[in-house]
Amino acid sequence: MFILNSYKSLFAPVVILLLLGALLLLGLYPDISMILGGIALFLIGMEYMEGGFKAFSGGILEKVLERSTNSTPKAITTGFLATAIVQSSSLISIIVISFLSAELITLTSAVGVIFGSNIGTTATAWLVSVFGLKIKISVYAMPMIVLGIFMPLFLKSNSWKGIASIFIGLGIIFLGIGYMKEGFETLKDGINLAQYAMAGYAGIFTYVLVGSVATVVIQSSSATMAIIITALATGQIDYANALALAIGANVGTTVTAVLGALKSNENGKRLAVAHFIFNITTGLIAVAFIYQLADLVDYLAVYVGIGIANYTMKLALFHTIFNIIGVLAVSPFIGILVKYLKTLFIPKGVNQGKPKYLDDTALVLPSTALSAIIMETKHLYENAFEIISHGLNLKQSNITSSIPLDDVIKDSYSKNPVDIDTFYNYKIKGIYGEIIDFSTKAQSHMSMEDIEVLYGLKLANRDLVEAVKDTKHLQKNLVKYSQSTNKHIRKQYNHIKKDLAELLRTIHIVSNTKEEDILLLLLSKAKVHTKKYDILANGTLDKLIRESLITNEMATSLMNDSAYAYDISKNLIAMAETIFTDRSTNTASINEEMAMDDEDVKEILEKKDD
Amino acid sequence: MGIKKFIKKVHHTLKLKDVEIENKKESLKDLLMKLNKRKKVIKKSLKKSLESKEEKELNEELDIICLQLKKGKKILHKLYTDTNKNNTI
Repeated sequence: MFILNSYKSLFAPVVILLLLGALLLLGLYPDISMILGGIALFLIGMEYMEGGFKAFSGGILEKVLERSTNSTPKAITTGFLATAIVQSSSLISIIVISFLSAELITLTSAVGVIFGSNIGTTATAWLVSVFGLKIKISVYAMPMIVLGIFMPLFLKSNSWKGIASIFIGLGIIFLGIGYMKEGFETLKDGINLAQYAMAGYAGIFTYVLVGSVATVVIQSSSATMAIIITALATGQIDYANALALAIGANVGTTVTAVLGALKSNENGKRLAVAHFIFNITTGLIAVAFIYQLADLVDYLAVYVGIGIANYTMKLALFHTIFNIIGVLAVSPFIGILVKYLKTLFIPKGVNQGKPKYLDDTALVLPSTALSAIIMETKHLYENAFEIISHGLNLKQSNITSSIPLDDVIKDSYSKNPVDIDTFYNYKIKGIYGEIIDFSTKAQSHMSMEDIEVLYGLKLANRDLVEAVKDTKHLQKNLVKYSQSTNKHIRKQYNHIKKDLAELLRTIHIVSNTKEEDILLLLLSKAKVHTKKYDILANGTLDKLIRESLITNEMATSLMNDSAYAYDISKNLIAMAETIFTDRSTNTASINEEMAMDDEDVKEILEKKDD
Repeated sequence: MGIKKFIKKVHHTLKLKDVEIENKKESLKDLLMKLNKRKKVIKKSLKKSLESKEEKELNEELDIICLQLKKGKKILHKLYTDTNKNNTI
């Protein structure tokens, strides 16, 4: 269930141990060997399916989770549906944690998704009891695996490769169930586990404990449920004890969640606590009312067409019912729960110089890793915006307002120039380094298309850093000449200041708009203005020198500084084009193609000159 | 039939690449519609008596929008040509 990074590190050892066990017991106890091999196959199949969904969803899963969780009922429903379809609550949990880290969803929504996800996991029990036992499921395993292997030969896109992995995964899961079933059937001829059946509450507590321990060891409640159902189908365990084992599997999964969260960030820990509280409460309710719940299952079974002696499907129904009851019992307290969770694991002090969104949990999926990098780049942009404004001796609040730009440049930020180096070291360097480091880690799991997007983001970060560095170079003369007694040089430096203030205002508007046409128009306008205001190109500098309106020293400074201003503008526009385009739709590629190039800018400027 | 040709035929029969192109066409049409709307608004504003600075700015925006529309239509035309080419293979 809620299995985080530790699951990944424990997956291989658990499978290896199961396979070694299967090999060792092959001669003496072939039936037990078959069961162990079946469990190993089941786990491998789940891993394939998870990987397949990661590739297949190509961001769809993330989009659904992001957009359909704005109310608690919606969040619960989304969590339920997503987990039931994907058959992996660990994948849903990881996406939720990375979204929480990127502030794409609230903690209340995240808790809702986790609750819904708990009901979604019961789909595995239905899958096994409905398809796994009634029909000889292993017959379908091989065609599915073969289809999954050959599919990528014809369909090379990532989505199709993902679907192929899902087929292979399902095939291996079916094969695993087939082996488990066969193993339990032959085991019945030698040992009858049903002789260990225990009645009353002693039996319930014992089997809850067995179910919990089994889940902690196997690291998957879905696999435990598959074992319970196949054992029940072959009469190796008693129905009442199977109910207790199912409750145990739910309780056991919280141990896995807590262990996993130890390595996770504060969001992961908070969600693990929420999950722990939810499952323990649900478990306690289920144990306290186990007989009443069993009666309810008998009563409802008639209405949904489940035979009175069909214990496996009744177990699946029981599993679903007690999880739904858990959600109904705990959801009214979500508000209180979230309030409590927010008091836990509070990070020590918020530091503007530290990354806000780069969390290792986001590395699990290329799309969440890219989201985290985009969010962090926007964070870096906010810091750079502040430094550049102050470096130009302008107030950030004036730039983002609608005050006329002539007034904006008159209202200085400080009497003394700010130390850009200190600002750079504190607010830029660390975050930039972390973004590059995170990008390198993320790249290893990415497709060529994602790597291309990532490369663009790295360039956007570099553009921001360059813009800050150029502001530092520009600052020295800007301070000196914007107060000069020579009105010509003063005018030119105030022009530079005004043009950059205009650009910063434009980018601020772009950062807050969702309208593609406005974004395109504003950035195109900014490109035209950058070229138009370049005094090297527009002849202003030549005129000032020719008419001896400024000294040679002033001319050299102005020439260098206008080049810095030009570079700052170019870098900021390039950065804005990359990070403020909505990447969740295909308008990103259109905007790239529609973006103005140098030829277009020239065409517009020539038109103006006519 | 070679394996490459077979794969190409499967792609074509199932129209596997068309969805992406169709979505792109739709998004582009939507963007062009918005730009056209903006162009009409600017043209309407330009008919009123305006300060020269404001008029200059609006004219500049109009030039940019016209250029973007030209570019967009070219991209759209290319997308349609590519689709038609694929369909006639």
